[in-house]
Amino acid sequence: MIPFVAVVSLCNQESRTFRLWIPLFLIWLLLLPLGILLSPFIFIACLLCRVNPLGGVAVMWQILNAITDTKLEVEHRSAGMSFHIL
Amino acid sequence: MSEHRRQILQMLSEGKINANEAERLISAFEEPVAARSSDPGATSAGKSRPKYLRVQVDSEDDGVREGPTKVNVRVPMQLLRAGVKLASLLPAQALRSANHAMQQQGIPIDLTQIKPENLEELIEQLSELTVDVDQKDANTKVKVRVFCE
Repeated sequence: MIPFVAVVSLCNQESRTFRLWIPLFLIWLLLLPLGILLSPFIFIACLLCRVNPLGGVAVMWQILNAITDTKLEVEHRSAGMSFHIL
Repeated sequence: MSEHRRQILQMLSEGKINANEAERLISAFEEPVAARSSDPGATSAGKSRPKYLRVQVDSEDDGVREGPTKVNVRVPMQLLRAGVKLASLLPAQALRSANHAMQQQGIPIDLTQIKPENLEELIEQLSELTVDVDQKDANTKVKVRVFCE
């Protein structure tokens, strides 16, 4: 399943946590018409680079699916940050 | 009779191992073969397929300058699979350029040799991988751990 939300958490020295939920599904909805408009150009670019366009689209879709559940956390004495794709 | 089984039986006949140990060794050699032959997608008995690649970095210094820092990264294995498939789509010329650039940076990896059909075996081997690096000097202590879970 493609990621729908990304959560960015920031916390400071006083243990205050600021959590930002980024609705990725809105980004996908916005990118979808753009992708459809650009698809002929992407297709031509793939052919020029001798890359199978359908294979390329399939792999990009797999990458998009695979990034779900990726997590990055950085903690420091003065601040902390975490990034989680859901 | 397989070579492993013959060697185990020979060790048993020479008295180097007892019957129980021989049985354990034979079953250890047979289990992965049986698992592979019954279901090509299944992993060896008792082991679950790793889902994530984890990288943990703990850094402590003298406390005067920056203080401890912890980094925790969790990457799904599916991303590794998709990445290898992406690499297999790239034209040979692009892969050669990437190989050359990596070799210049001291990374002797041949991307043309990484193929999707070898990937499952690689991931299976990664389940047993743990890399621990401890570095200590006068002011800092860094611990890096890379493993699969």
